[in-house]
Amino acid sequence: MKALVFSEKAMQAAGVAAYLKSVLPGVEVSAASFSEPSQDELGLLGGAGVVKVWMLPQSAWAAGEPSASAALSELVAKTEAEILAVWASKTGNEVAARAAQRLKAPYASECVSVEKTSEGFVAKRLVLGGGYTSKVLLKHSPFVVSLKASAEVGVGGQKPDVEKFNVSSSGPVIEFVELIKPESAHVELEKAEAIVAVGRGFKKKEDLSMAEELARLINAEIGCSRPISGDLKWLSEERHIGLSGKRVRPKLYIALGISGQVQHLVGMRDSRTVVSVNTDPNAPIAAESDYFFVGDVYKILPLAITRLKEKLGS
Amino acid sequence: MPNMVVCVKQTVDVYQLKPHPETQAPLTSQAQFKNSDFDLNALEEAIRIKEKHGGKVVVVSAGPDVKPLLVRECLAMGADEAYVFSDPVMARADGYVSAAVLSKLIEKKAGGWDLILCGEASLDENAYQTGPRLAELFNVPHVSYVNKLEWLGDRVKAWKSVEEGVRVVSCKTPAVVTVGLEINTPRLPSLLMIRAAQKKPLNEVRRAELELTDEILTPLAEVIEVKALKTERRRQVYEGKPEELADKLVETILAQGGGKR
Ligand SMILES: Cc1cc2nc3c(=O)[nH]c(=O)nc-3n(C[C@H](O)[C@H](O)[C@H](O)COP(=O)(O)OP(=O)(O)OC[C@H]3O[C@@H](n4cnc5c(N)ncnc54)[C@H](O)[C@@H]3O)c2cc1C
Ligand SMILES: Nc1ncnc2c1ncn2[C@@H]1O[C@H](COP(=O)(O)O)[C@@H](O)[C@H]1O
Repeated sequence: MKALVFSEKAMQAAGVAAYLKSVLPGVEVSAASFSEPSQDELGLLGGAGVVKVWMLPQSAWAAGEPSASAALSELVAKTEAEILAVWASKTGNEVAARAAQRLKAPYASECVSVEKTSEGFVAKRLVLGGGYTSKVLLKHSPFVVSLKASAEVGVGGQKPDVEKFNVSSSGPVIEFVELIKPESAHVELEKAEAIVAVGRGFKKKEDLSMAEELARLINAEIGCSRPISGDLKWLSEERHIGLSGKRVRPKLYIALGISGQVQHLVGMRDSRTVVSVNTDPNAPIAAESDYFFVGDVYKILPLAITRLKEKLGS
Repeated sequence: MPNMVVCVKQTVDVYQLKPHPETQAPLTSQAQFKNSDFDLNALEEAIRIKEKHGGKVVVVSAGPDVKPLLVRECLAMGADEAYVFSDPVMARADGYVSAAVLSKLIEKKAGGWDLILCGEASLDENAYQTGPRLAELFNVPHVSYVNKLEWLGDRVKAWKSVEEGVRVVSCKTPAVVTVGLEINTPRLPSLLMIRAAQKKPLNEVRRAELELTDEILTPLAEVIEVKALKTERRRQVYEGKPEELADKLVETILAQGGGKR
């Protein structure tokens, strides 16, 4: 059984490769890359058990997702790979979908796992807003999956061979204009022990300072619902938690003015303890909380901050 | 003047959906249906482009039981006409079948087009695939995850949200664009618009008219099980005066380990 893995980042490609090796014993994994991999990257891929790196032309990547997926499809066909597994970044999802269409291949996106069963390959993914898991049978090969699953990459594996692959197909061109980077520093919400998450219960950007003060006092990271980063742009995209954002699992999750729609819940469901403050006793977050405070963040937070300062002496 | 097509999927209202208490399967048959959230953002965007540059907005929708009332909502928002494929076969549709059916609806019924707008993901499947698949079928460029769009005549310029920030790109039209909830706030149609929409054409299209073969309608990926995720929570509720709540909140946070370094 042959698999081809792809991600824009070698680290993620290695993660996907290691994951496939862990769930599909005996699978032979190659990786596709649109740039010359560094020695470090080759080490990573080797550690993940990748035996070969196919180098595709940089120009196919520069021309955008349609042409990158054309190149990958051609490589899948030529190498007779049965599985194309792509790290489910946003770009990865686009490339995987187009490649699946091109290959007339079964496709499951944003999978949390893949397994081989007596019926065939089955992928698991979240559906219906993230409140449900769905098992999808991929009915023939080659098939395509985009994955958020990775496994530990070993060290000291043999570095894979690198071979150039010239593509003859191309896709319609997307021209790159610019990348606007967020100003904020990098945050790793996934590793936070405590998170204070804010939602539309806050009326102005300045008011978030209450939540930030609370977070500082209890040594928590700030997270948010999608409208806060997406619509309102009060916080950076990296802080948004949920189906289309981060999946977090802190010991303590404090939801302030967040209604708890299903797409948000999927991102924080694995938190150990959930505390929320909301004016609406019937907000969906109520049923997903260990401690639910029916109240106004504007009234409760300033008092709680004063009290915390007394107790913690800061 | 751009001719635009907007793909609007009707899905179960996932915000109200409940699982079966024993099997944990979604109780879909008792559920309400709605137009998929981001599709209304796509429609709103098309209407705004039309208001600025002229042109036409056609809605296409496919599903096992497409509800005319929900399509009327789209017409009331400002779409000019709609083509609907309502067929039980769509209950099993995967991305491959959906894209194929939509492409036939567009090709055979909607006529010439410059721009197809989709949601970046549907409310129920959340698959992020129909837009790019459609673009591949028509061999045109696509841009996904768009949160700002400019119509430039023979091109579009799009601001797409990616993990690293916002990628600004541009491509020739015809093209496919998929949007998320950040791009705009869909309008709520007024009573007047709702009344006016009664006269707009809502066309039901049958399998034969679209030359849909069994092969096209056979999914390549098949859903074999859907089950609710469960978390058990204590659900302790506190009500009372802000002072009391604040004290209790602080107590709870500290008891749960908040404040540790
Ligand atoms: C495909 C798809 C993917 C999505 N992905 C995500 C995702 O990843 N993450 C995400 O968060 N959302 C996501 N969403 C959006 C989601 O459906 C909700 O719209 C969003 O989570 C709501 O954010 P919110 O709770 O901040 O706002 P609202 O739903 O408006 O809730 C605000 C809450 O604040 C309460 N409130 C108001 N005033 C106060 C006050 N003074 N004090 C205390 N409480 C107050 C209200 O009672 C209400 O419950 C997605 C949607 C779709 C369709
Ligand atoms: N059956 C359908 N009818 C109309 N539009 C659809 C259908 N399926 C998918 N779409 C469009 O494709 C988008 C992405 O869907 P998905 O690939 O399922 O996440 C949706 O937001 C719609 O715009």
